[in-house]
Amino acid sequence: MDLALPSAHYACPCSSSPSAITSARRASHISAPLKDDDPEQSTFDPHSPRSAYNLLPLTHLLFCDECSQIRCPKCTIEEVITWYCPSCLFEVPSGSVRGDGNRCARSCLDCPVCEAPLNPTSIGERDTAEEYVLRCGYCHWTSADAGIKLAKSTKLTEQLAKFRRTRVEGASGLQHDDEANVPRVAITEASKPQPRDHDDAFGKLTTFYKEQLSESSDAPNPYGGSNYNSPTNLARIMGIYGGLSRSALKKSREKPQPMREAHGVNEGVATFQPEEDGDERDIVGKMRELGWDDLTSEQQQVVAPVNGDARFTSELWPVSTRLRTKRGKRCKVCNQIVFRPEAKPGSTRTKVRMLAHDHIPKLALQPLNVAARAQDPSFIVRKDQLYVEPNLRPHAAQQYVLTVTNPLFETVKVTLTTPAITPGKVKSRVTILCPEFSIGPAGEMWDDALSSSTASTSRPEDGSRKAAMASLTGGEDSERQPEAGKVWEKSRNRTKVILEIVPGALKEISIVPKAEEAQASEVLGEDEDVLQVPIFVRAEWMAEVSHPPGGKPEPKELREIGYWCVLGVGRIMG
Amino acid sequence: MSRSGPVSRRSVKTEYIETETGNRISRKARIEGKPHIQLGGKSMIMAGVILRGDLHRKPDPSGDDERKDKTVITAISIGRGCVISTGCVLRPPSRISKDQITFFPIRISDNVFIGPDTHISAGTIGANCHIGAGCVLSPFSYIRENCKILPGTVVPHSMTVPPGCVVGGRPARILGDVGDGWGHGGGGEGEEWIEGGDLKRLVKAIK
Ligand SMILES: [Zn+2]
Ligand SMILES: [Zn+2]
Ligand SMILES: [Zn+2]
Ligand SMILES: [Zn+2]
Repeated sequence: MDLALPSAHYACPCSSSPSAITSARRASHISAPLKDDDPEQSTFDPHSPRSAYNLLPLTHLLFCDECSQIRCPKCTIEEVITWYCPSCLFEVPSGSVRGDGNRCARSCLDCPVCEAPLNPTSIGERDTAEEYVLRCGYCHWTSADAGIKLAKSTKLTEQLAKFRRTRVEGASGLQHDDEANVPRVAITEASKPQPRDHDDAFGKLTTFYKEQLSESSDAPNPYGGSNYNSPTNLARIMGIYGGLSRSALKKSREKPQPMREAHGVNEGVATFQPEEDGDERDIVGKMRELGWDDLTSEQQQVVAPVNGDARFTSELWPVSTRLRTKRGKRCKVCNQIVFRPEAKPGSTRTKVRMLAHDHIPKLALQPLNVAARAQDPSFIVRKDQLYVEPNLRPHAAQQYVLTVTNPLFETVKVTLTTPAITPGKVKSRVTILCPEFSIGPAGEMWDDALSSSTASTSRPEDGSRKAAMASLTGGEDSERQPEAGKVWEKSRNRTKVILEIVPGALKEISIVPKAEEAQASEVLGEDEDVLQVPIFVRAEWMAEVSHPPGGKPEPKELREIGYWCVLGVGRIMG
Repeated sequence: MSRSGPVSRRSVKTEYIETETGNRISRKARIEGKPHIQLGGKSMIMAGVILRGDLHRKPDPSGDDERKDKTVITAISIGRGCVISTGCVLRPPSRISKDQITFFPIRISDNVFIGPDTHISAGTIGANCHIGAGCVLSPFSYIRENCKILPGTVVPHSMTVPPGCVVGGRPARILGDVGDGWGHGGGGEGEEWIEGGDLKRLVKAIK
């Protein structure tokens, strides 16, 4: 959870009741944690270790209208719509994704040292033939460092593959014929270092097992056509159930050759070969000679299989860009599509986008005192005006404006509930002065535009929210005091209420010295000094029931939704 | 500035010059080559910003003179509702070929926020991008729509960032996707502005 205070995070209901996922249809019925007898158990604790995984900003939450419930990454299923290369934005057909190793097969290559993109750069002199190297614009690595020079600036991946093949074959070409038919001997007699190329080995393994499969299925099989194509499996099964006569069983055991496993280099198996005076010692010697900078890092080795064995930076090979995906999301409970982007990689449009933002009331907290308002850390526009986290003084009561916005086209009745004392080690006191109120319906877009244009003409100097508040608190309303049970301010689809918060002390002062255990339990963990207020929001409204065109309109239906919202207020000073 | 029109309000006291299309430009910004810079309207150029409009493609000397006069070559174009924070430098990228230096334009779409002290030589920045403070967008980098670039990121030369990505690090790597509701809501009357959303109100509110 990132803490850009003040903050508002929402808890997906799937976190409090995992059973909601399994009991499919019941999900529309809201489990009301506040009606429970034991408030200790039902209150959402923002400081519990689990909460970090359950609280999300509103922009990351979706909504399923079948279930009338918020949906988070944990209660949605993702499905890949498109694979594409982030560099050339080419849409890769799903059939060739695996064959290409999830990487771009066109000309997109990344630097093996720093992962920035590589660009072909001409190094040819004016009179000589054109020659290209791949150059990293960030760390200035060039493929010439690995001895790679290319003839043209197109079809880079293809050229590189050819280059690598000739290099590998050039080193191991001699061995090929020798070992053709003596797979086992290679292990004992190997004296020359084996260049290990994973693609090559994989290819050999695949062909070996394909051959094995076809050989064994070619053998006469009394149960041809059944699913048990492997004769060994079949024999085992028949042995267990004894479905065959003795002689038939014997026959079936004898005839087909059981599949054997691959062994030897030619079949794609590479085994560790201890050598008297081989490579390993050379490598260690080289490592001793060369500096740290010439050795590859773990990150460089794991970023692509092609560099998995590279020990020195001079062995690093350009890496094809990894593909990305565009994914759609479905509700885990009812399988309804809640998010579906357009397939084209470059498009930002969506076919389905059910955002929680459009379906649940939104909460935002700000100090009533304008001067105490913190800057939004995302929108710092001056370098000399750094973000200052709002600090709270223990035991100093503060008033806050809670703005609740209604995205629905119906008037919504909202009930807010919060524990009087915040959960966690630091006990702060929270009072919502007006916990029950209604919010007007959201209008059409042009309504919004209209109301905002009139609002800005009435305040010609600067139409900012801060100015609005300043005129509210500092103008003729300066004597206005928040009252219990009264809404602070109401506009079309937005209602503001006042919260009174008394931050607790980080350390309780006690005269009696405490036991060591008690002291240890008082040590605050990370961010436990941040005052966070969990609020259970319940919204009720009468919704239009959809009816077939021409049919008579049905009476409106009561809908409700409830969820926890956690408001980060500030950090309490010690 | 070609589209900005005449200056409508000229007061010595205010820091910002407001153009007819609602752009607000700090008097403390350094703007070179004004005819080669386009501002879409309701955008903000803050103090200490350097716009190098003088680094534009030179008209082809072999072309006829008439055409040369009529077409204004744009070096930097900035869309509607953008915020360029203090200390940013926008320097069009260049390429050297045949001993000639050629500049290419920077194109910034609508509602792009750029944090303080960021250096931009990118080719294109798509709409609704949020770029943090102290970033470097190297020459010919291409940032597509709805991206979030974390503060202090160095986007390497000619890197393409596909739409809707969160990017960070030196050199930049794609770290993940922005939320499905990126830029949705916010920015309305009395609302917080949100990353990737409409910035016109923020432009108005900056003092
Ligand atoms: Zn969930
Ligand atoms: Zn590609
Ligand atoms: Zn590099
Ligand atoms: Zn559902």
